[in-house]
Amino acid sequence: MRALKNILSQLHTFVLWLLASALFWGWIFTFVTDTSPEKKITVYCDAPQVRDTAMAVALEEHMPEGLRMVKVHAFSYVMFDVESIDKGDVFIIPASHLEDCAEFLAPVEGQADGVKIYDADTGRGAATAYIQYADEDYYLFLGSGSVHAQDGAALAVAREILAMR
Amino acid sequence: MNGQIIELYTDDDMARMRRYIKRRSTALVLLAIVGLAACLALVALTNTANARRMELAAVAVSTVVGWIVLYGALFAALPARRELGHAGMLRRERRQRAEGTVSLTDESFTIRKSVAVRRVLVTRGDEQSRFLVCGSRAEALAAADPAAVYVCHGYVAAYEVRA
Repeated sequence: MRALKNILSQLHTFVLWLLASALFWGWIFTFVTDTSPEKKITVYCDAPQVRDTAMAVALEEHMPEGLRMVKVHAFSYVMFDVESIDKGDVFIIPASHLEDCAEFLAPVEGQADGVKIYDADTGRGAATAYIQYADEDYYLFLGSGSVHAQDGAALAVAREILAMR
Repeated sequence: MNGQIIELYTDDDMARMRRYIKRRSTALVLLAIVGLAACLALVALTNTANARRMELAAVAVSTVVGWIVLYGALFAALPARRELGHAGMLRRERRQRAEGTVSLTDESFTIRKSVAVRRVLVTRGDEQSRFLVCGSRAEALAAADPAAVYVCHGYVAAYEVRA
C-alpha cells in the first residue's frame, strides 16, 4: 500500500521514464536496422498488404555480395518522405499508378514498361506469399535513382522477387 | 536538573546510515549496469527477422529496470542521504535547551528536498514552544518521555531523560 502511494506520488517521473525509454530505444533500433543506400536494397511495394519483414528475410537469404540488408516497404511508409522513395532500388507498382510513379521508375533488362509480376485475369504472380495484390496487373521496375543500377545488385534482387512463390 | 542526554543520532547511527546509503547506491548502480548490458545484448542479437521483437524487449527491459532503480533512488537512497545530511547538521550546529512537558502531535509533513518531520510541543506553564523532529526518530522521542529537548534551528537534536 505504501509502495503504491509512493509510486503515485511520483507517477509523472515513472511515465516520463517509459516515454524516454521508448524514444531512446526506437532511435537506437532505427540505426541498427538501417544502413546507407550503398549497403542495402530497398524494395517499395504499392499493394494493399505486404509482409515486409518476412519478404526481407527471404530476400536476404540470397543477398548479393557487398550488401548488408534488404528493406521492404509498403508505399504508405514513404507517403510523407519523397526523398527516400527517390533512392528506391526496386518498385512493384499497380498499372493504375504507373503514371504517378513514372519519375521513380527505370526499365528492367531493357523492358521500358517493366516486368509484369502479377496478372489480375489469371490471379497468378510472383511473391504472392508476401504480397496481397489488388485486383489489377502489377509491374516490377528498377528505381531511376538506385545506386545499385550499375553493380547489378538491384537487378539480382528483382530477379529473386520474380522467382518467389 | 541533572539528567542523561541522549542524542537522536549517535555516531553509530551515522555510520549505519552511511553503510546503508553505500549498499543501496551500489545495488542500484549494479542493477542499472545489468539492465543496460541486457539491452545492449538485445541490440547485438538483432536481425531483420526479430528487429521489432527485440526493440519491444529492449524498451520493456529498460523501462522495468529503470522503474526499479528510480523507485530505489527516490524512496530509499535519496531519503537516507537527506536524513544523513540532516543528522550531520544536528550534530554540528549549536543547540538550545527547552525544558517542559514534551508531546508529539499528529502533524507531519515533508520539508521540500529534505526529511519528513513531526511536530513536537514543549509546554512549560503557560508557555508553549513548537519544534520539529525527524519522522524516523519521533516515536523514540515520545516513548522516552523526556524532561527537556536540545534544539538546533528548530529541530530536536537530543533529549534529556530524568536520571
